[in-house]
Amino acid sequence: MNENLRDRLLGRGARDPGCEACFEVLDQYAEALLRAEDVVRLFPQVVDHLAGCEACREDTEGLLAALRSGPSGEPR
Amino acid sequence: MQAANDATTAILGKLDGFRGASRFTTWAYKFAVLEVSVRLRRRAWSTRRVALDEVSWGRLADAVPGTEQALEERQLLAAVRRLVETTLTNRQRSVFLAAVADEIPIDVIAERTGSSRGAVYKTLHDARRKLRDSLVAAGHLEAE
Repeated sequence: MNENLRDRLLGRGARDPGCEACFEVLDQYAEALLRAEDVVRLFPQVVDHLAGCEACREDTEGLLAALRSGPSGEPR
Repeated sequence: MQAANDATTAILGKLDGFRGASRFTTWAYKFAVLEVSVRLRRRAWSTRRVALDEVSWGRLADAVPGTEQALEERQLLAAVRRLVETTLTNRQRSVFLAAVADEIPIDVIAERTGSSRGAVYKTLHDARRKLRDSLVAAGHLEAE
């Protein structure tokens, strides 16, 4: 089964906390991702939400791009 | 420029909520990115007609390749299409088809329906949960 299709159709189920809860910790998630930490273990709900929410996925990609090109240097 | 001003206003309005769990710049960027991306998505769709009752499955059906390996996916898609018609409320069906089948951004759906992004996603989430439950009951999907 193509997980992308299943995620697109059905999302990731009960663990998906929704856009607002995802946005609440998106800064922490993005920094953890840039530090190459295990975000699946640290932020499982965010990972599940992003799998089924195109808008939040785009926002996350935008945030990561801004952080990679911004003046603030390496994430702590 | 207006987006930058609105992003600044949004950040200033949220300052009390900064807890230091990330860098301040990262925390501030996420509001700016949200403000700009919502505007860009809405602008990209501003000249496109959005009729929530006229969406189609065409693009999603095209996304499933015609290989033997994709048989399971085509069966899932067919089952979902049936269940969308038989189990969802009118509101859930409209949002699900718009967001999933027609790939209309939820910001745009929210704008066109006078709702919020969170509320639209909640409707989508509830529709997906109902579809999952029905697919599990029908043996198309394993229970979580």
